[in-house]
Amino acid sequence: MHYTDHSSFTAAFLGFAQLCRARKLNVGIHENQEAMLAAVQGLWGDFELFRYGLKSIFCTSSDEGVAFDKLYDKYWSEKMGSIKGKTTFKNQSNLIKDSKGSLVMVGIGNEEDDNEETDARNTAGANTKETLRKTDFAKVEQIDSQLLEDLAEQLWRQMSLRLKRKYKKGQKGNIHIQSTIRRNISNGGTMLNLIRKDKKQQKYKLIILLDVSGSMDKYSFYLLKFIHTLRANFDHVEAFVFSTRLIQITEFLNRKNLRESLALLSYHAHNWSSGTKIGECLKTFNDQFAKRLLNGKTLTIVLSDGLDTGEPEDLKRELDKIKLRTKKLVWLNPLKGMTGYQPIQRGMKTALPVLHHFGAAHNIESLLALENILSDA
Amino acid sequence: MFNHPSELIPRLDELGYVVDQELATVLYLMLKLEKPLLLEGNPGVGKTEAAYILASLLKTDLIRLQCYEGLDVHSAVYEWNYQKQLLAIKIQEQSDLSAAQKEDLIFSDDYLLKRPLLQAITSDRPKVLLIDEIDRADEEFEAFLLELLSAFQISIPEMGTIKATSKPFVILTSNRTRELSDALKRRCLYFWVPYPSMEKELKIIHKHLPEIETQLAREMVGIIHRIRALKLDKSPGIAETIDWAKGILALGITKLDKEGFEQSLSCILKSTNDVELVKGQIDRVLG
Repeated sequence: MHYTDHSSFTAAFLGFAQLCRARKLNVGIHENQEAMLAAVQGLWGDFELFRYGLKSIFCTSSDEGVAFDKLYDKYWSEKMGSIKGKTTFKNQSNLIKDSKGSLVMVGIGNEEDDNEETDARNTAGANTKETLRKTDFAKVEQIDSQLLEDLAEQLWRQMSLRLKRKYKKGQKGNIHIQSTIRRNISNGGTMLNLIRKDKKQQKYKLIILLDVSGSMDKYSFYLLKFIHTLRANFDHVEAFVFSTRLIQITEFLNRKNLRESLALLSYHAHNWSSGTKIGECLKTFNDQFAKRLLNGKTLTIVLSDGLDTGEPEDLKRELDKIKLRTKKLVWLNPLKGMTGYQPIQRGMKTALPVLHHFGAAHNIESLLALENILSDA
Repeated sequence: MFNHPSELIPRLDELGYVVDQELATVLYLMLKLEKPLLLEGNPGVGKTEAAYILASLLKTDLIRLQCYEGLDVHSAVYEWNYQKQLLAIKIQEQSDLSAAQKEDLIFSDDYLLKRPLLQAITSDRPKVLLIDEIDRADEEFEAFLLELLSAFQISIPEMGTIKATSKPFVILTSNRTRELSDALKRRCLYFWVPYPSMEKELKIIHKHLPEIETQLAREMVGIIHRIRALKLDKSPGIAETIDWAKGILALGITKLDKEGFEQSLSCILKSTNDVELVKGQIDRVLG
């Protein structure tokens, strides 16, 4: 690096720190101080060493590391380039003249050209994430889908982790006086060993019924991904897909990798993208699985758009049966996210009075809302 | 001590740990800034090993805390020696000490069982503290660590705050099975330990097994890298490569053909799915 005096280096460095902050890296005053300390520890003189040092201070994940490297190269090569007179600055107000008269870039993050926009997309700052959370799965563009998948996985994983913790067996409880006295009789009544009460374990189970009929095509991949994430973090999840037939898919979801699960699924589940007979499928569920799976600790979730070709009475009867056996019956409908949607199709209309909760399932956020429903249970 | 990151590389090399400039820089900063270092990476890339090597580099002891679900303050920091306290109370029943004095006595240092974290901050000279697989511990424990990692002190309700007599060099490792809290990450330097490059892995094998033929080692490293590209359930780490090399030497295999490869497969692949997957693509893997 070319800086021979402290002040111009500090200013240039602060410009870089600001750029990093603008790109949503976690850079505060504390980090800046430490970076300066690192610089005076002998890293300053070497382009690569300084990069490594700063990276370890500014970044908190490998993804951030990748984004950081780009920023670092861009910023410092431009700074060196500016000596050769190559750099042009679009936003002159971002330039500050310091006391020594050298130009220092302060807010390079504000200037945006075409290249940079794609960069910003890749670094995925909080704003992009915020929008993606609300993006309807059916309207996802190719370019966003990978980002959306990553974000969905991250958020859903956090959610299921929180839920898991909530339902997990707690630490041991209070001292159990009677057993402690009994156990310590052999010590002449001196309480050498304390016996504690066990907290009772709440075993919640999730039953998920996913509609994979043709009308759900745009949503079923994401919903399946949602179920897969839940399955990976939750011990007791049973999943089914249905259209004209009901198929249990729990064992296919045990794969760590979603793609493997999908491959297995497509091999075993032939009912993909066909018509919908919800009532009939729920009847199969009630006949074959309900007795075994449902009890006072089960939460049943139906993910379907409710566009049914079967008889509404069948649907209502089967839902009633499920409701009797389960703690909570929730129906999440991707169409509910559409503005002006009214549950007036025959199927949905008859189902509605039976449900404990009727929610949307068209974007990440609506599925995250499930956390509240589940944790109330 | 060291005055430049590059001084660390040959010293660590002597101890049998191959580092690149990036990790050397981060370790150097960790020593200079006295900040904890969080190492994340896939299993078997040498995260834990880094702590052991650092301890032998600094010629100090390593205190290791293995995290697990349900790890609590009693097994990580301190516990009162309950039985000893009871005995002490019995013994002092006849003494003239006041109740307050008796209480002070049984809540003193003698009755405190020091667990790894407390040991690490109360020793005379700085130790290396390895908090292994922090992602396995609960969030409550992670929150508890914050006080230790930023202020190097621990609060014990009955005794007050215990300040570090010597600041330990702390290394935390995580396999990234869950996201750690931002608060914890902010208190640490961060380094993602990637799988090594072919050159580096070759060096590592030679470091551990100097007697292995270069050509054979080169072939092995090539195969390992192709296997890692397959996206298995459990990708082989460096530890597996070394095991494999040892296995190959023990079996007396000199050429890695189909037969030799299948014979020694159990050293690198640890799940039946993976074995099937690799066997299915054996020609591609063998190159």
